[in-house]
Amino acid sequence: MLAVGLNHYLVLSALIFSLGILCMTTKRNAIGILIGVELVLNAANVNLVAFSKYQTGSVDGQIVAVFVILLAAAEAAIAIAIFMNFYNTVRTIDVDRGDELRW
Amino acid sequence: MNHTYEICLALGVVVPLVSFFILAVWGAAIGKPRASHVALAAIGISALLGTYVLLGWWSADGAMRTKFADYALRYDWAVLGTHTPITIGVKLDSLTVIMYFMVTFISFWIHFFSIGYMEGHSDVVDGESKYHRFFAYLSLFCFSMLGLVVSSSLLFMFFFWELVGLCSYLLIGFYFDKKFASDAGMKAFIVNRVGDFGFVVGLALVILFMGTFDLDGAAKQFAAQSHGESGIFAASINLFGWQLSGTTVATLMGICLFCGAIGKSAQFPLHVWLPDAMAGPTPVSALIHAATMVAAGVYLVARVFRLLTPDAQMFVAVIGCITLTITALIAIVQTDIKKVLAYSTLSQLGYMIFGMGVGAWVAALFHLMTHAFFKAMLFLGSGQVIEGCHHEQDIRKMGGLRKKMPVTCWTFFVGVLAISGFGIAGTHFGLGGFFSKDEILAVAYERTYNWPPAHAAAHDEPDGDAHGDMHAASLPAGPFHLVSEDQAGAVGEGQARGASGQAEGASEHATGSPAKLSVAATVRALPKWMFWLPIIIAYVTPFYMMRCWWLTFWGKPRDQHVYDHAHEMWKMYVPLVVLAVGTVFCSYLVFRPLLADAAKAASDSSMIVAIDGEAHSVADAGGGAMLTLTHAPAERSPHHALIAIVGFAWVIGIGFALLIYRNGFQLADRLRRNFLPIRLAHTALKEKLYFDHVYDNLIVMGIRLIGVMAYAFDKIIVDGLVNLTAVFGRFVGSFAGRQLDMPIRKHDVGLVDALVNGIAGVCYDIGSQIRRPQSGRIRTYVMITAGTAAVVLLMVLFFDQIDGGFDAIRRTLFVADR
Repeated sequence: MLAVGLNHYLVLSALIFSLGILCMTTKRNAIGILIGVELVLNAANVNLVAFSKYQTGSVDGQIVAVFVILLAAAEAAIAIAIFMNFYNTVRTIDVDRGDELRW
Repeated sequence: MNHTYEICLALGVVVPLVSFFILAVWGAAIGKPRASHVALAAIGISALLGTYVLLGWWSADGAMRTKFADYALRYDWAVLGTHTPITIGVKLDSLTVIMYFMVTFISFWIHFFSIGYMEGHSDVVDGESKYHRFFAYLSLFCFSMLGLVVSSSLLFMFFFWELVGLCSYLLIGFYFDKKFASDAGMKAFIVNRVGDFGFVVGLALVILFMGTFDLDGAAKQFAAQSHGESGIFAASINLFGWQLSGTTVATLMGICLFCGAIGKSAQFPLHVWLPDAMAGPTPVSALIHAATMVAAGVYLVARVFRLLTPDAQMFVAVIGCITLTITALIAIVQTDIKKVLAYSTLSQLGYMIFGMGVGAWVAALFHLMTHAFFKAMLFLGSGQVIEGCHHEQDIRKMGGLRKKMPVTCWTFFVGVLAISGFGIAGTHFGLGGFFSKDEILAVAYERTYNWPPAHAAAHDEPDGDAHGDMHAASLPAGPFHLVSEDQAGAVGEGQARGASGQAEGASEHATGSPAKLSVAATVRALPKWMFWLPIIIAYVTPFYMMRCWWLTFWGKPRDQHVYDHAHEMWKMYVPLVVLAVGTVFCSYLVFRPLLADAAKAASDSSMIVAIDGEAHSVADAGGGAMLTLTHAPAERSPHHALIAIVGFAWVIGIGFALLIYRNGFQLADRLRRNFLPIRLAHTALKEKLYFDHVYDNLIVMGIRLIGVMAYAFDKIIVDGLVNLTAVFGRFVGSFAGRQLDMPIRKHDVGLVDALVNGIAGVCYDIGSQIRRPQSGRIRTYVMITAGTAAVVLLMVLFFDQIDGGFDAIRRTLFVADR
């Protein structure tokens, strides 16, 4: 029986992070990108909690993770508000159409 | 020790300032009649506080007063350098108290008068009502003047001094949409700057040599230095290679300080602004240009009296003497009622300054007080006349106004009598001007004919035979004259040898300076003309004042329209009556003793000589710190001599005026037509002795000439040089352009252009390449970010190996080098 240690969590976190990045780079749908962001953030959360559990033994990591969740929620609210305005302007949420402010 | 008095005084200074701020900020909202009530209430509070202090001071005895003065509040406002504090504080002595009372009292009644006056006058300036602004300025003026009076430090006196000048400018130019008013305001301001320049230089000398701005401290220093012949008396100043040394510097300091007074009190040669200042509203003329502001100059001289050397004093006396003479002469021919009063003010100020100069400290201030009362009244009376006569100021169009405005007529007459020196010589009966002018002249007489005093120069007999007859003919001494112990032993019969100084107070000097009399011995006697000019003018004064009064109020009306319009209002003549009562009663009873008490503050230095013009006893004589005119026998006294010389000048002057002007201008016009000298004199005086012309032609034209020359210099030489450079540059440019193969024609590209365009093109290309990654596509950005993060991660992970590799290479090279 293999004991679950820190490395397992780190690998999981790396996987989720990579998937999140992948999602953000490939999805053209704005909501998809938002989901990717959530994945990246949660990968970080997993890291935080794992290090907290195995390295320091305190609850600092957990507390920060809760903050991150909170911030993610706030960020999602703002992002969705932006998407709605974006949709009202260009009648789509394809992020590749939103390149008018590049220069 | 409580500080009730100085707190009261300080509070009274601040109240008008508060009123000013209220009126300045909310004045327009407060509205037309009520804005004036704010200002009136403010100055009323100040006047009440001033009266309270005066009464308290009056009842305090000498020891109490000294105590109060010694414990007056001082606060170090700032420190110059490391150890020269600038103190701010209330100077508490009899002079302050009495000046304060005078300023607040007169200002209050003038505010009162202003309310009535502004009802009849337009307050619309430049299209909108400036009613509140007028009263705001009045309040500001009261603040500045009171601040000037209570300041204990010369520097703060200077601050308030400038504020007073500013207020004067604002109020003269109150009707600033009229050209002559704004011009007059500017003239007053600029002429005052000339004097203030001297004042600033004086202040610099004070701080340089005395090390303090405090009046008492500076005076102590001055006395100590004069005694030890050190400091300013041993100083030498190198001014552009021109060496100033010794007492000259001390004298220079006094003269510089006096320059401020020349400007503010409108003394020769800066007297030209005051007549023009009559362009302001009449209450302003009364307040500023008769009663208070111009008195500030005399007040300043009184305050810095202890810093004046005998030479500086002589300078002061000469200036005063010249002023009082020429301005009185000009006053004779003026036909504008306000101008007559303006010139008479100048002349009386000249008397005060002259009094200061000859050492009649108390008498000069006494004259200031009495003059403030009656001149304020005269000006308010003229304001009433002008207001009643439909803004007519020319006395040629008046006449017969007695019936229409009786109160104004008779209060004005009181003023005329007061300024003429009405009084029965040899008795205690007379108006203010009689006593004060008499005292100044008495001291001048002493300085001219009985100088130096007997003790110092043993029996130095002046050649008074020419005047001996006059003394012999003079009346017996009345109670007004000083009867004192017999000092001068041998008195030659029939010789004008009356007054002798009395050595007092030598023991009071902390510095142990020599007795007053030996100081007095070093002071020169006055030249005779400086005694006789004021005497002659004492005859001229009643003449022109009576002329003015008679032509205005008596005879037949010369302009029916003006006469029909004439009327008077209670709001305006109540102040006249109050001030008339003050003129008759107040001055001698209240002011004179308090001023005598203040005198010891003026005279604790060994340098200056102050003479008490009329001391009944030693105690009166400023604590014995000054020379007094106590002498024996009484028949030889200067006062006695003066009875014969000017005692009845007012009768003669008034009588002469009546003789010439009883039927209006006919006789005067006939005289002028028929006698060439009179015609010439009239023309010269009409043109104000050409002072304005001289200034216009000499100074203004001079400055214009300099301007024209500077313009020409700029136009020809500076512009020429620039243009020459430009031509040269263009030549070089076109030559160089051709040499560098840069064609001058358009659309061709030469070397320089190619270089410039090339740089621009490179920049453009770099930019267009760099902007490429910024696609605006969010996914690209994420990829770049993630890729960069990966690269950084890899570098962090493998940096040791990389560094180790570099290290290996470096070591190899290092070894190879070896």
